[in-house]
Amino acid sequence: MIELKKQVTFNIHRMGEDKKPYLETFQLECTEATTVLQALETIKADLDGSLTFRRSCRASICGSCGMFINNRSRLACRTKVKDMVDLNSDEELILEISPQKNQPVIKDLVVDITPFYEKIEKNNPFIQEGSEKVEQVDKTSYEQVNMVSNCIMCGSCYSDCTALAENKNYLGPAALAKMFRFVADPREGQKKKRLKELSKKNGIWDCTRCGLCIDACPKGVAPMEAIVKLRTRAIESGITNNKGAKHAMVFKNDLAKGGLLNEFWMILKTFGLFGAIKQLPNAVHLAKKGKIPPIFSEKVEGFEEIDAIFKQLKENPINVETKKEDDGPGAG
Amino acid sequence: MTLEYAYYPGCAAKQIQIEADLATRAICEKLNVVLHDMPKASCCGAGNLQEHDLAAGLAVNARIFSQAEEMGKDILTICNTCLQTFTMANKRFKEEPELLAKVNIVLEKAGVRPYQGTIEIKHLIWVLVDDLGIDKVKKQIKAPLNGLRVAPFYGCHGIRPQEIFDGKGGEHPLYLDKILKTLGAEVVDYSGKDKCCGFHYMLPNESEFLSMSGGHSLAAKEKGADIMVSPCTLCDMALGAYQKKAEKKLGKRINLPEMNIAQLIGASFGFSADELGFYKLHQDPLPQFDKYKVEIAE
Repeated sequence: MIELKKQVTFNIHRMGEDKKPYLETFQLECTEATTVLQALETIKADLDGSLTFRRSCRASICGSCGMFINNRSRLACRTKVKDMVDLNSDEELILEISPQKNQPVIKDLVVDITPFYEKIEKNNPFIQEGSEKVEQVDKTSYEQVNMVSNCIMCGSCYSDCTALAENKNYLGPAALAKMFRFVADPREGQKKKRLKELSKKNGIWDCTRCGLCIDACPKGVAPMEAIVKLRTRAIESGITNNKGAKHAMVFKNDLAKGGLLNEFWMILKTFGLFGAIKQLPNAVHLAKKGKIPPIFSEKVEGFEEIDAIFKQLKENPINVETKKEDDGPGAG
Repeated sequence: MTLEYAYYPGCAAKQIQIEADLATRAICEKLNVVLHDMPKASCCGAGNLQEHDLAAGLAVNARIFSQAEEMGKDILTICNTCLQTFTMANKRFKEEPELLAKVNIVLEKAGVRPYQGTIEIKHLIWVLVDDLGIDKVKKQIKAPLNGLRVAPFYGCHGIRPQEIFDGKGGEHPLYLDKILKTLGAEVVDYSGKDKCCGFHYMLPNESEFLSMSGGHSLAAKEKGADIMVSPCTLCDMALGAYQKKAEKKLGKRINLPEMNIAQLIGASFGFSADELGFYKLHQDPLPQFDKYKVEIAE
């Protein structure tokens, strides 16, 4: 078989010590086996020795070579050129590479990972002593922490997070997934204290639930799923005196009462009376176009079934949490 | 063969975003796609019920699926969040028989027909492209869009997590692009296309929400968009109804009419502005149609 070899254009978004970003284009022959990292190393060795990027293990274990490749954060070592461009196409094959987003750029493709690490460090990423500590741990307890333990701190989720793009102080997917790892660990002694801290501004209720962190993660950590589980545990622990939890709780309340969501009362229940008054301009703005939800909730047909479902679950709760078995070392 | 579905418009289309429901019913009738109402269907929980009480979320979803199953129809929805909530639950029911069995015990005790795990959850835009075929859509076009520059906004919950959508979502979503090209629009590529409208954190984080949603509208406008469309009633609300508020927050004029994809399809099918609920939109789209000599019936 003749090896498929094609000229690929690498558009690299660079930045030097003068902090001025510029675009530089390199041409390189790539085969079906070429990874983006191999391409960058060839560019550095043969074309421009000043091109700067982090890399180490080449096997998606160390998490060093995270960068923004064709509109998503990816590990350069794990990304094949042929998966980014169609090597069989006769058109010009262009690969766009820039540093990870949501972080300050130091040089070329190297970003300052200090804020990323600080957000994890300031939340005590160690098991804490305390009254909630369980001494006996059985094998099933890993089912909750297996996924989040696979994190290699590559920053891909942090880079693609839509909430971080608007608020630099948001803890972000990786730090929150890491916190879930502790909250879900039976040996942790301060679960509730952690959940209280994480329910504050910049924590679990600041996630947009956009799912980009799940798609960006090269190790299957699914940070958004961990964030949702933290929310569940926070509500279950009675940490509900915040807008995020109150908003989430409206749904169960409305469903249990009539089976339908009432968008009018949602505002009142989320913000309280005084907060709701501040929302009046929004309501007036929406009302201009007749966008007024009905004040009185109707009951859905067959509501007694929903009522019975809620009663059943209250009497006989069922465990439906997602679990993840141990995939072994290097999983993901 | 006539296509028939159990129609689940979602709470937003029933209350605030009724224009999406009007337009969906109008175009489906024209295309001979029969939508059967689900009068017994409750709210899907929107992921919020699920993060508060997952068991209740799954049980309530199974009850809705069971109704569709009894009707012998797949569910068609026009809300991305309903689509994602349902798809997540349905995928688990199909892959975890012991979970479905547990939930069915609850349903049976509550006097509800158990769910057998046989239905599919579909979005209107998937149905138009995959089930019906885009050629049938093409046949109904009376007013081609003549190169009107349209920015598609896909909305997170119709494309992510990509593993649940079996190739229909992910990094390179195609459905809106395909439909828009068929209608004769020029598709505008911009950074916000597959990003987040912010709807789900609007209430606790209003300031961030406004710069997020407004930022996407602005990015589309800067790429020359005349109109933005979304397949989701919640994105419609975030990007359309809240655009004026976003303008204030960003200190910039945007004025980019946003509408549901069903409304734009309806416009090209020759439905009138009133039939499509254009009067509900916060930015008047008619001048944009005028620019391209696309006639919208009065």
